[in-house]
Amino acid sequence: MRLDPSFIWTAFTLLLSAIPTTLMITAVAMGCGTMIGTSVALIRIYRVPVLHGLAAAYVTFIRGTPMLTHLLLIYFGLPYLIDGLAIQLGWSFRSVSIPMIGFAYISFSITAGAYLSEVIRSGLLAVNKGQLEAAYSIGMTTRQAMKRIVFPQAFAILLPSLSNSTINMLHGTTLAFTVSVVDINAKSQIIASSNWKFFEAYIAAAIIYWGLTILIERITAVIEKRINLYNRGGVA
Amino acid sequence: MIRLKQIQKSFGRHHVLKGIDVNVEKGQVVAILGPSGSGKTTLLRCINFLERPSDGEIEIDGITVQCKRPSKSDIHTLRKQSAMVFQQYNLFRHKTALENVMEGLVVVQKVPKEEARERSIALLKKVGLENKLDAYPSQLSGGQQQRVGIARALALNPKVILLDEPTSSLDPELVGEVLSVIRKIAKEGITMIIVTHEMAFAQDVASHIIFMDDGVIVEEGTPAQLFNFPKEERTRQFLKRYTPDGVYSI
Repeated sequence: MRLDPSFIWTAFTLLLSAIPTTLMITAVAMGCGTMIGTSVALIRIYRVPVLHGLAAAYVTFIRGTPMLTHLLLIYFGLPYLIDGLAIQLGWSFRSVSIPMIGFAYISFSITAGAYLSEVIRSGLLAVNKGQLEAAYSIGMTTRQAMKRIVFPQAFAILLPSLSNSTINMLHGTTLAFTVSVVDINAKSQIIASSNWKFFEAYIAAAIIYWGLTILIERITAVIEKRINLYNRGGVA
Repeated sequence: MIRLKQIQKSFGRHHVLKGIDVNVEKGQVVAILGPSGSGKTTLLRCINFLERPSDGEIEIDGITVQCKRPSKSDIHTLRKQSAMVFQQYNLFRHKTALENVMEGLVVVQKVPKEEARERSIALLKKVGLENKLDAYPSQLSGGQQQRVGIARALALNPKVILLDEPTSSLDPELVGEVLSVIRKIAKEGITMIIVTHEMAFAQDVASHIIFMDDGVIVEEGTPAQLFNFPKEERTRQFLKRYTPDGVYSI
């Protein structure tokens, strides 16, 4: 067996078409995950009755089980739930009409939500309590204070962790191949096995993942520079 | 104008305020003095519900709130009557000096942006920071930050400004600039309640002084009465280390 450098390029060009799938799963999971995570973080910080216990259970279960397990549980479990409900309520909708990628969206959003809730919670708790008090003292409601004062500062604090989570998710999307979603990784396997050039195809995939990761790092750096302007004066 | 009736506050089993009654008239500058742990800061924070009193009644300019079971809107309405200057300044860190002052006007009082901007610039001018409009808190000295804090409080045109040890975290060189700003606004007839350890300042600026110890008001009166002829032994003891101008015990 000899390395065929030119095939790396061939594989690379073939893989480009799978990039949107990978990015889409990452974006949906991070987007929905941020919404879930923010709600869960607020529920836990404000100790909302009943929901608080549920939120804690959600976080510990999801963080305590692998992402692949979530995907399989959703993939095999969700159809039961949906079809059961559909029959009960007389819907014409059946789970077979859910595209495969839909399972990846749902499952990875749930995974991301649990991890992000902790990231967001730490960001919110890191904002000085005096900031909220000052907001109250000028007559803001809790909602206004959160939106205008606490969240913007929390975001600046949690940006590095958020970038980390995004990169984790980008790499985690490779699991989607188990439910037949053709992302970059799945595509590289297909290219590899149909040409019998495994190493070349995986090198091409690695380069693409690395490139996307560098892109995320760059974007983070730009945002960080922008929103951290206010910290430039000193340490306090 | 401001009436506190039988304010009680406990943290767990620790009884911090044991039934405080205070009346403040419009335009009065009231200084609250007392040793650490006497409950003076807690009392001040009860007035805008940053601390929730366990019992009692608070009235500011016709708005009355029963402290035992206040509704969210009660608290919100009461908070809009006052503004606070904090010991740690608590300027919004991600906003410039100008934005800090404008924030309450625009978001809470819904003043149009342009007007809010003009009023805020005028206030920052008043506290001597017209050349720091676009500076972030992290670029300002403690004294400058506190003056922005005062401008932020003034902007809301509140019925009363609550000042919680406004100079305690400043180094001695910067205390003067903040005190002179407070003195200036006191002369304009703005009602203020100040918790402070600056005796000379309290004596000079306040029209009424309250001395607290161990969760109760020990004694109150005009500065002249309290500093020169304290009635209570505890007050005398507290003021012993401070000898006011013109009165020397021989």
